Amino acid sequence: MIIRYRTRPVTAVIPTASMADIAFLLITFFMFTTSFSVDRTDVQLPASVVQQKVEKDAAIIAITADEGIRISDGIRESELVTDMAKLESILKEIVQTHPSRQFIIKCDKRAPYRSFNTVYEMMLRNSIRNISLLTEKKG
Amino acid sequence: MKSRVSLRGKLTSEIPTSSMADIAFLLITFFMVTTVFTAIHGIDYGLPKKEMSSNIKPQESVYIHLKASGEITLDFVPVSSMEQLASYIKGKMEQTQGRKPVILRTDPEVPYGVTVEVLDVLKQLDIQNISIPTQTDIELWKDYFRD
Repeated sequence: MIIRYRTRPVTAVIPTASMADIAFLLITFFMFTTSFSVDRTDVQLPASVVQQKVEKDAAIIAITADEGIRISDGIRESELVTDMAKLESILKEIVQTHPSRQFIIKCDKRAPYRSFNTVYEMMLRNSIRNISLLTEKKG
Repeated sequence: MKSRVSLRGKLTSEIPTSSMADIAFLLITFFMVTTVFTAIHGIDYGLPKKEMSSNIKPQESVYIHLKASGEITLDFVPVSSMEQLASYIKGKMEQTQGRKPVILRTDPEVPYGVTVEVLDVLKQLDIQNISIPTQTDIELWKDYFRD
């Protein structure tokens, strides 16, 4: 007696049923961890050994090597300010709206101290006490 | 004559999901490209409240002056390196149980990076009472800042 086996062709299939689940899981992860940078001013930061983590949503004042100043309240995109009176009015507005907000000074290491001093004096005048000087990790 | 229409092939309602994975991966790509994971760090410079602040004279403190010429003086004496500056301040702090305030004065033309370098040295020595006078303060107290 001859037994004949029927052989069915085997097709290679990649299971894609769970792909959408994985994709949405990754989306959720990225959505929760994403924080959009409000200031992308190109500066060479000074280096330091001592460093503390700055608060999330802190207001940023960026000073470039050519003494250009940009400011962000930590929520909106930073804007260039050429007029010091305007800078002070923006500072006042931030202090009034968010009294406990930390201020980050993101100053280029090549910038002359006088530009930092201008911002620093303005901060003191407006009773800003929580300041962080942005640095890079040394070594 | 009655005509009968039989609905053998039932119509099922379906949400088209074939493009869902494409949309999901498109969103992933967007978030992956825009995500910034780096936490930003800096040197904390907390200032006392106005009512808690007091005026300190250079004579009553450790007085550091970063001059426009590139010279650094410590209590009116020039220092050659950051190590020398650190060891001097460390000695002073040991003598006074760390109570002596430090004044860090910088001339307007000095690069900001130098100020941060000195501030970092002071922070490494765990000095709590650091004062950075503004140019207005220096003008007001010019009799004390004579060097």
